[in-house]
Amino acid sequence: MRAIDAGLLICHECHQLNPHKPDEEKQFCVRCGGHLHARRPNSLARTWALLISAALLYIPANLLPIMTVNSLGKGQSDTIMSGVIELVNYGMLPIAAVVFIASILVPTFKLVGIALLLYSVQRHQPMSARQRVLMYRFIEWIGRWSMLDIFVIAILVAVVNFGSLASIVPGYGATAFASVVVLTMLAALTFDPRLIWDNTKSDDDHE
Amino acid sequence: MAEPASSDNLPALEFERLIACHECDLLLRKPLTSAGEKVECPRCGYELYTHRSQVVRRSLALVITALLLYLPANFLPIMQLNLLGQVTEDTVWSGVLGLYSSGMQSIAVVVFLCSMAVPLLKLLCQFAVLLSIRLDIGRSYGLLLYRIYHHMREWGMLEVYLMGILVAIVKLVDLADLSIGLGLFCFIALLLVQIWLEVTMSPHQIWEALSGEDKHACD
Repeated sequence: MRAIDAGLLICHECHQLNPHKPDEEKQFCVRCGGHLHARRPNSLARTWALLISAALLYIPANLLPIMTVNSLGKGQSDTIMSGVIELVNYGMLPIAAVVFIASILVPTFKLVGIALLLYSVQRHQPMSARQRVLMYRFIEWIGRWSMLDIFVIAILVAVVNFGSLASIVPGYGATAFASVVVLTMLAALTFDPRLIWDNTKSDDDHE
Repeated sequence: MAEPASSDNLPALEFERLIACHECDLLLRKPLTSAGEKVECPRCGYELYTHRSQVVRRSLALVITALLLYLPANFLPIMQLNLLGQVTEDTVWSGVLGLYSSGMQSIAVVVFLCSMAVPLLKLLCQFAVLLSIRLDIGRSYGLLLYRIYHHMREWGMLEVYLMGILVAIVKLVDLADLSIGLGLFCFIALLLVQIWLEVTMSPHQIWEALSGEDKHACD
């Protein structure tokens, strides 16, 4: 049995149960004062909006250079993918793998994963609730790791600063990439995981 | 283990004796927990409760340690690079400044928030919440600050920054003469203390202590 069926609302913020008062327009948690909703309002529409914005920015994020290395008058621009390929060419495979996973696999997986999650919640297809919940938790946990490349750029820009001898300048791809990461993190936060379990027949057969 | 509340026995239970899973909304009977016990949702596996002893005292010690480490971790050099006699230094703060002065203000702000501002604000919120429980003053502010803390949780990314430092070191190590600074060790220490603190400070005990339901939080 769900809390919503028993006329109880759980607070998003402190997880306290509150009896639902349908006649009141806005209800606040008795313990922490947080705004109460049975489900986050417009969760699916908001998540879709954030997700689509992220998907659009994903294109410039991958095509525009994220940084330019200037060395003795010569400039060389790097996109995310060319940075990974360069690491492979230098023979630094483990680090190349980490950067590849954090900057290419994870953002792509997140965009596809959140879209799949939204689609399957709206259509009650094609994944089981348990698969969806595992997916949701994975997406929520892994989202922050995509910031890796942005932090690397911050460090490189600060430390490789030898004037005309060698310097690194960030590019607009980095801005787009940072926006993708922030937007997909917001999308994961806006999504209400309880929607996964609503309308499933597995309501009580949790064994 | 928490038991699901079914509709037949529900009228007999007042809602004070129930809890609901935050992630799947399953209604459960409130379990009695003793120190060291964990309660998970039987349907989706979400961790509902962790009961730890001496939460407030242990968390206070950790939060003070973390606050002391904060300044050296962010302002001491993480690494030094020597290229043909020219030496540059990198700190977390100089990374933010470097981005800002190269015309990428928006990313500089994101990096500043995720690696410096949010981690500090989180620690300050935790410190204020723990003090408010310990000294029994300003509980309503404590509740507000603890809510703010929960909204910031996702956005502090010290562990990702550490991985970024490692990637940067690997990229630079062949190109120039690189030496590791004291700042890196302070940064790693700050990260470890902060993770330990997050594990120790179990949210449901803090919420109950803040609202005066848990009399033993300070034990």
